[in-house]
Amino acid sequence: MRNNKLKTAATIFLLGLLAVPLYFTSTFVLHMFTLVFFYIALTAAWNIPAFGGKFSLGHAAFFGLGGYTAAILYVKLGISPFIGVVAGTFVAMVGGVILSFPLIRLKGPFFTLSSIAFAEVLRMVAVDWRALTNGSVGINIPFKPSWLNLTFTSGAPFYYMALGLALLVIGLAWWIRSSSLGYHLRAAAADEDAARALGINTAKAHFLGLMWSSGLTGMIAVFYVFYNYVLEPGTAFSMDLFSLQPAMNGIIGGMGTVWGPVIGAIIMTPLGEFLRFYLGTIQQGLNFVVYGLMLIAVVNFVPGGIVSLIEPWFKKKKSGDSSAADN
Amino acid sequence: MELIVQVCVSGLLLGGIYALISIGLNLIFGVVRIINFAHGEMVMVAMYLTFYLNYFFGMDPYVSTLIVLPVMFLFGVVIQRIIVQPIQNSSANMKIFATVALSLILQNVALIVCSGNFRTVQVSYGMGTMELGGIFISIPRLVAFFAALLSVSLLYFFLKNTYTGKALRAIVEDHTIARLMGVKVQKLYLLAFGIGCAFSALGGVLLMPFSSVYPTVGIPFTLIAFIVVVLGGLGSMGGTFLAGLFIGVVEAVGGTYVSPALKEAIYFGIFIIAILIRPQGIFGKGKGSEEVGLK
Repeated sequence: MRNNKLKTAATIFLLGLLAVPLYFTSTFVLHMFTLVFFYIALTAAWNIPAFGGKFSLGHAAFFGLGGYTAAILYVKLGISPFIGVVAGTFVAMVGGVILSFPLIRLKGPFFTLSSIAFAEVLRMVAVDWRALTNGSVGINIPFKPSWLNLTFTSGAPFYYMALGLALLVIGLAWWIRSSSLGYHLRAAAADEDAARALGINTAKAHFLGLMWSSGLTGMIAVFYVFYNYVLEPGTAFSMDLFSLQPAMNGIIGGMGTVWGPVIGAIIMTPLGEFLRFYLGTIQQGLNFVVYGLMLIAVVNFVPGGIVSLIEPWFKKKKSGDSSAADN
Repeated sequence: MELIVQVCVSGLLLGGIYALISIGLNLIFGVVRIINFAHGEMVMVAMYLTFYLNYFFGMDPYVSTLIVLPVMFLFGVVIQRIIVQPIQNSSANMKIFATVALSLILQNVALIVCSGNFRTVQVSYGMGTMELGGIFISIPRLVAFFAALLSVSLLYFFLKNTYTGKALRAIVEDHTIARLMGVKVQKLYLLAFGIGCAFSALGGVLLMPFSSVYPTVGIPFTLIAFIVVVLGGLGSMGGTFLAGLFIGVVEAVGGTYVSPALKEAIYFGIFIIAILIRPQGIFGKGKGSEEVGLK
């Protein structure tokens, strides 16, 4: 059976990933893997509203909310980041509730615009509210290695955590997409009015999709922030890093599919790092020029994303499922 | 009391520039039906052109309009032809992706070519003010306001009274029927994008005497322009002009009385509220709004 072969291959691949920190002690290799996992998780979380055809350019809002909540609780009140993760997820979901008003009320482009505006407003508030956030100076996570402080002397624990997050979010995305919520969202993406006429509560579906997405993004942010020790408004609410990058990974990989974000993040993250480190030292900003050109190429030649090129191979095995929800 | 009048006047004058940029967007948005996320970057490119014309040739910013506007008109035509036209019939999201990509490319090309430094044009009248009944009025802002008023009036006249203008308005009303009536839609798309781009460019040029340019200067302009178009109503030039002034005043008042850092947050807040309560626009009824996602 081909299905079994696929499962064996996946298991071997996963075991291989688990062994990476044992064989590669180079911090660069570990860092690169960790970063890829983080971006897989972030992109897959970003992608959940995209099942319903909604395209956000403001996920940095949820990232910043989650990250700041945990960092403030830890640095100012000494509360363990493990409680911070719960709080950060919750606060990011509150942000999701706010953004759900434009999400439900507005179609395509105007939701995208309000998501940008939302993230920008939060960034400005984070700069301005110095008493809480230290303003543009940002918050430094003190280096006190301990499991409880989510601070480690080696990169391996974060490697495993990022891997775990990536697997968790892919699993959840797969589960959501094949649950009734996923079908409702995909129906809404295909034709909102027709879906409503069939009795689907599309508003509820969009809302729930955004709740998952915002909560997961907030949760991932907590780990990312503790991995980096520092956060300031310019990075935590960064349009480039946490709004555009996941969106770009998702679009290039294949928006609204389960594996699109994974493929997108695997290709784009190392490419981005390569361009930043090797060409970026020569020409700052060149990576984004390349991204932009790739995006235009994808829009023109493979509107379904890279996954739509690979999918036909797997489709032979199973038919019917997963048509790229591109609307 | 005097302060509030002072603040409102200065906001109103700045609002003239916002109105110009937004009318450019409104035209592109209304006619070509594309959500141009790279709109602010067009302003940025025009600002850099103005800067370099001054830097290398000592050209006065106001004189440089003679070069910048035609160049930016062509720039708009080229963008429409190369980036937008191939995906004219794709879904709304694809168009967003393409213009987001364009804005990324323009921003970062600007970063590579012009570096990230803030650039300003030094002109003798840059800080010039005149006093009128106890209110100080910045001269470059006053010039900007009247230039905006004049060019918007010209555009209004063009749209109302010429054959081409009427054809453009027909497209805003209904693409299919306009095409059936023999309107050369593709050509007019090029024209609309060009004019829209030139209007935004004019906004950029008029900004140069009293503000600086850097690669990401355009991001707020994109958002402001969308706020203004949404408030003013799609296809409504008068509404857009008033909404532009309104946002200028809101920004000035908010910046003075709440916090300068939060002035942008205030109008983004207004944007989100306005778009939720009255997405069809405050002044206009927003023809064809539904097609582009506004209900």
